[in-house]
Amino acid sequence: MATAAPTAMSTDTDPAVMLTLAQWFSPAFPIGAFSYSHGLEALVDRGEIGTVAQFRDWMAHVLEHGAGRNDLIFLSAAYRVDRSELAGIDALARAMAPSSERLLETVDQGGSFIRTINAVWSQGLPPLSYPVAVGAAARACDLPLEPTARMYIHGFLSALTSAAIRLVPLGQTEGQQAILALTPLCHQLCDSALDAPLDSLGSSTFLADIASMQHETQYSRMFRS
Amino acid sequence: MEERAITLTTSFAPAETVPRQPRAIGALRVSSKRLGERSVIGDLYQSGASKLLWPRTASGLTGVMLNTAGGVTGGDRFEIEARAGVGSRLTLTTQAAERIYRAQPGEVGSIRTRLTVEAGGRIDWLPQETILFDHSALRRSLSAELAGDARLLLVEPVIFGRIAMGEETREGLFHDRIEIRREGALVFADATRLGGAIAAHLDAGPIAGGARALATLVFAAPDAERLLAPLRALLPPTGGASLIRPGLLFARMVAPDSYLLRQSLLPVIELLQDAPIPRTWTI
Repeated sequence: MATAAPTAMSTDTDPAVMLTLAQWFSPAFPIGAFSYSHGLEALVDRGEIGTVAQFRDWMAHVLEHGAGRNDLIFLSAAYRVDRSELAGIDALARAMAPSSERLLETVDQGGSFIRTINAVWSQGLPPLSYPVAVGAAARACDLPLEPTARMYIHGFLSALTSAAIRLVPLGQTEGQQAILALTPLCHQLCDSALDAPLDSLGSSTFLADIASMQHETQYSRMFRS
Repeated sequence: MEERAITLTTSFAPAETVPRQPRAIGALRVSSKRLGERSVIGDLYQSGASKLLWPRTASGLTGVMLNTAGGVTGGDRFEIEARAGVGSRLTLTTQAAERIYRAQPGEVGSIRTRLTVEAGGRIDWLPQETILFDHSALRRSLSAELAGDARLLLVEPVIFGRIAMGEETREGLFHDRIEIRREGALVFADATRLGGAIAAHLDAGPIAGGARALATLVFAAPDAERLLAPLRALLPPTGGASLIRPGLLFARMVAPDSYLLRQSLLPVIELLQDAPIPRTWTI
């Protein structure tokens, strides 16, 4: 039987796979993750998020009831289909962006990710939204789905925590404590979402999405979303 | 006679433990067409619990949908198909708020809507509030196909228990999906997914911050951008609007209750509809 959830990268994961994934989801991989806050900047600006506890609550809801779970469903769907069927999944992923900046966030990071994959791993993938890009690239490069998805969702958590460290601001230690505290949720989501069909996509992070719309008209901002 | 009664009792025994609610089924198919300077009814088909009324209004063709079953419960099925023919405009609203009643465990009501807008046409989809009662269960979908220059306004208000009536949607299921295609290409999709302890979930800051009313608005039109700034000016602090892509305006807002949601929503509908609000909304 499969091993329990907490051993995300179990000892039987090929060391080469581990390091390829470490490279893909390293902050050095040029997707520009540092420039997107997923609407967090608007919430900090309005004083709605000002503590590590408030950030963790926002982050947990975004992971479980917002883009986190949906991205895993898109990544997994993209991994399972032939290249000819990617366009339909990608169109749905783009269409579900709730604001122009959230669309930019996923399309821009996905485009940059694909450019690097094509150049470095000699692939010929088209531009795709970020979760679809990662699913398609993992399949093209023969990487296993589950560790790829766990690294993806953890990368999403890390990037937004890094944004919170700069915005709220949080201490570096507080940031790492928040990531550690939310890691079990990442595992739990991977355990349930990777087999979920596209029909089960859905979210309820209404105010988090509204914040990403409000960010568009914010007077002073550091982030592109 | 006695023997028959016994047979019935035996064969219906499992149903007695979970009494089945009577199911309501309704279907509406309607289209509009252009006649000179006016829009008139093209085809019309109505069956079951779904009726369409055509009150005389000052301007435009407005169909008022009526659910003679008085609400929707688990297992009910409603289907609506509306088409605005070339150059015609069709407004659809409801007679009253739609009540989604408590469902038996495992039973889910279903409402499916398909809208088609042909070249130069327009549909204004303006149902009044959908009120989700405690332990209600509803799966709803709306898909729209638009020609290149067609226009579509969607406004969907949802109320999670009427606070003024002491109601609360503690538990329930609400899955709501919208997909809009223009010339066959998907330009907008939204999937709302709520289940389990809904009221407690809505209390969370990133979800609804305690709000019990939600409105989803989509305006698809070649010149939608023109309305972005005026729309933003009308929204409450708990609302937002974005031109997600050219010709596609999306807005969402939450409010503490249905009264306050309406206060914010009426001027917004008036702006986006560019016409008087359907009379059923204001009486």
